[in-house]
Amino acid sequence: MSWQRWIYIAPLRLRSLFRREQVERELDEELRYHLERKIEEFAAAGLSSEEARHAAMRAMDGIERHKEECRDMRKVNWLEDFWQDLKFAVRMLRRTPGFAAVVVLTLALGIGANSAIFSVIDGILLQPLPYGDSDRLVIVWENNLRRSNLYNVVSPPNFLDWQAQNQVFSGMSYISDLRGNLTGGGEPEQIVAEYVSANFFSVLGVNPLLGPGFTPENGEDGKDKVVALSYGLWKRRFGGDPGIVGKTIELNGKVLTIVGVMPQNFNFFIKQGTLSGEKPEVWSPWVLPPAYHHRKDIGRFMTVVARLQPGITKARAQTEMTAISARLAKEYPDFDGNWGATVIGLREQISGDLRPALMLLLGAVGFVLLIACANVSSLLLARAAGREREIGIRTAIGASRWRLARQLLTESLLLALIGGSAGIALAVWGTNLLLAASPSNLLDMQKVPLDWRILSFACGITMFAGLLFGFLPSYMSARGAIAETLKEGGRSASAGRHRRTIRSAFVVAQIGMALVLLAGSGLLLRSFNLLLRVDPGFDARNLLTFTVTLPSAKYGSDPAVLAFFRHLVERVSKIPGVRSATTESYPPMSGLGAATSVHILSQPAQAASELPTAAVRVVGPDYLRTMSIPLYTGREFNDRELAEMRHVALVNQSFVDKYFFGVNPLGQKLAVHMKSEEESEGKPSEIIGVVGDVRMIGLDTPAEPTVYWPHPELVYSRMTILARTSGDPMAIVSSARNELHQMDADEPMASIVTAEQLLSDSFSRSRFTTIVLGVFAGAALVLAAVGIYGVVAYTVAQRTSEIGIRVAMGAQRRDVLRLILAQGGRLIVSGVALGIAAGLLITRLMAGLLYGVSATDPLTFAGVALLLMAVALLACFVPARRAMRVDPLTALRYE
Amino acid sequence: MSKPSDLVQGTLDLLLLKILALESMNGWSVSQRLRQISGEVLQVSDGSLYPALHKLEQEGWITAEWRASENNRRAKFYALTRLGRKQLEKEAANWDRLSGAITQIIKLKEA
Repeated sequence: MSWQRWIYIAPLRLRSLFRREQVERELDEELRYHLERKIEEFAAAGLSSEEARHAAMRAMDGIERHKEECRDMRKVNWLEDFWQDLKFAVRMLRRTPGFAAVVVLTLALGIGANSAIFSVIDGILLQPLPYGDSDRLVIVWENNLRRSNLYNVVSPPNFLDWQAQNQVFSGMSYISDLRGNLTGGGEPEQIVAEYVSANFFSVLGVNPLLGPGFTPENGEDGKDKVVALSYGLWKRRFGGDPGIVGKTIELNGKVLTIVGVMPQNFNFFIKQGTLSGEKPEVWSPWVLPPAYHHRKDIGRFMTVVARLQPGITKARAQTEMTAISARLAKEYPDFDGNWGATVIGLREQISGDLRPALMLLLGAVGFVLLIACANVSSLLLARAAGREREIGIRTAIGASRWRLARQLLTESLLLALIGGSAGIALAVWGTNLLLAASPSNLLDMQKVPLDWRILSFACGITMFAGLLFGFLPSYMSARGAIAETLKEGGRSASAGRHRRTIRSAFVVAQIGMALVLLAGSGLLLRSFNLLLRVDPGFDARNLLTFTVTLPSAKYGSDPAVLAFFRHLVERVSKIPGVRSATTESYPPMSGLGAATSVHILSQPAQAASELPTAAVRVVGPDYLRTMSIPLYTGREFNDRELAEMRHVALVNQSFVDKYFFGVNPLGQKLAVHMKSEEESEGKPSEIIGVVGDVRMIGLDTPAEPTVYWPHPELVYSRMTILARTSGDPMAIVSSARNELHQMDADEPMASIVTAEQLLSDSFSRSRFTTIVLGVFAGAALVLAAVGIYGVVAYTVAQRTSEIGIRVAMGAQRRDVLRLILAQGGRLIVSGVALGIAAGLLITRLMAGLLYGVSATDPLTFAGVALLLMAVALLACFVPARRAMRVDPLTALRYE
Repeated sequence: MSKPSDLVQGTLDLLLLKILALESMNGWSVSQRLRQISGEVLQVSDGSLYPALHKLEQEGWITAEWRASENNRRAKFYALTRLGRKQLEKEAANWDRLSGAITQIIKLKEA
């Protein structure tokens, strides 16, 4: 039926659309024919030709109206009308480019910024992780109750007891990482390998892209010589060879059979628990050696991931783990006393550092959206007021309400469309910008897809606000009081006052929200500034760091390792442009380091868990000079102490302050529990000097008590080389590599980075948050200024004649200025007061992101309040000046 | 669209379809015929006839062509289409049903 209908209809529709003039002519002719017959009829009845014509016209009662009705029947006029409305809307917007630009920019900002932030947050905090049932995955840490370190790496014997005793996990897996040299088949390269329990992939619920992966057998001694490759390594080093499974690689001189290639999105990495601080590229099963079953022989170094049994909550698991830890603490007071366990969801663990910052930005961007909505509404409201007269006239001459509504709708939609497109562009650009600006050391995410749900939400809400406040008022007033509107010359007093109240409320709210954002941003800026001024305790300028790891297969003995690093340092320090060089066990500011309990022999012995704790750093020759760390008292390590074990140590000032209570530390003996108990206690180290504090974790973390040992005291085979240069540190990299390769061509140089970069990475989160919130606050400031400008400018326009009368009656320009500014001033003061009240409540939520400044810092609040008031007053001043220049004659004539 | 007040909604369509089913004619003739056959009971203003005709045309029930009228002037003549005939049958049936029902009710004896 319906297709048959279209045989008749389609040509008509097409004709109506494309032969419009002919159709119109025919309509005209048809009605004229009727009219003429009618006239003839009346003439035949004896009327004069003039009378007959009038009578006929009356009988047709309004030809034009019926024509319009006929046009409506064509069912294509909505399209024509739309086109017409669109042209009209474009013309209107072009006539007020300022208004259009502000609305479009406001919309773009509101939509774009929100979509960008939401997309990033969604990508980081909400998207499911690429593991089977990832919400059930948790990380289990040991919890050092005395150092309040909730997330401490785990000791193997504790892991084994946890695994045996818990009833809450369906699987537990351990991870420990090592740098390794990958040799054979191309350039030797240093990669990070994770040595894991054989159930690692099954606990995570991940299957390899290629190959079977690990089998339970791989967890047996002797059957563990297998390896799984990361997608990246497979592509990079093996060219994505599809037949790679079954082939072998050589890692640290050991031959391993490849049993799997992991999917591209498999990027499991808990930086906090790693020794290398870098993402692994291979995984290999590792069977805990028998010695690791005894607490005396091994410390804490593993990361533990576990899968909750169905129906078990995180809280339940935490309770169970706390109970198990308490039992272990009783059983092994020396090792496990004062140690608990922490269960944390995998997602919280991963997003940990960035989460509060992102939440803050989420809140901030919500404010920006609200301000944008208020601004758009306020602008459209002002515009609607200006058009009341036009709409009144159009209603009076017969425009149907629906027709008028459509026209207003078209205009609003056009604005929304342009604003929305600009918003989408801004969102795409903003998402990439955010990711680029986000700290790569905290967040490993190159790409986040733009979230269309969010985008449509932001578009929807701003458009809705715009429609509600721009379109509805005009529509309502057009219905209500056409006559009134026309009588009053387009200024419907009651509607105007009502609207002014709404707009004023918007402005107060906008200023209030802008103040909150500015306060938050100001606080971050102040704490960032304070952070930048913190002295790290060493000189980070012109300091190159890189890491060298010696494979045990090649450099099996301690003397060989020691000799290698001594020679390397000698060679590096002779490179032109290098002033001095040294080695250290961990790069500064990397968040890495070892810590242990220390027994000061002059103080009573206690259980290990009750002893003082200290970071232990192992260093090479010329360390203090290279790092520019001051020596407060005593002396440095001498050449002999740097060549062989002489049982000496340096401590930092914090160590002295915390543990010596006024006793002269020089000559005191320390048993540093980094070795077996007999060795530590039997051959304690003598303190030969006290050095300045260094903030090794990050600028916002105070220096820990630290013991420095010369390299022979604890022979690490992985050391970071530090070179103090006279110029750009990166300039000597190739010379340094050259020196290294002259000693051993198979030795890769890893983690090449300047200390300044490490320093800058350490406050990257603060920088990120500060910049992004700063941009938002700036946008809020501009939007609020535009908002108040709009309201005041509108009032000035409305009151032009009143001002003219005042001036005519002798008011001075000053009086006029005062009149206008007073109006704006009232709004500003109310907004600022509201903002301060709200800000004092809200900024408390960001206390964790601040450094050295209180969340209710009065100086910041006063500063941003002043700034906001100044900008807002300036925005009022522009229209106020216009009011001042009102010429009474023109103003009255205008009326 | 203004509707003739004494015509039940939709009945104008039915009348027009029926008139055009008898013979094809132009708007003027339709208005004359409408007055004639209904004995001037049904008042359809001359103006509102045309939107109704155009509506029927756009629905595909009637089709139009320009040809010479009885006084030898060009006029737009409307004729029923196949679809129009079906529509007429449907609407006539509807009308029978409706008027029958109303008649039944009106004829009820008052107690």
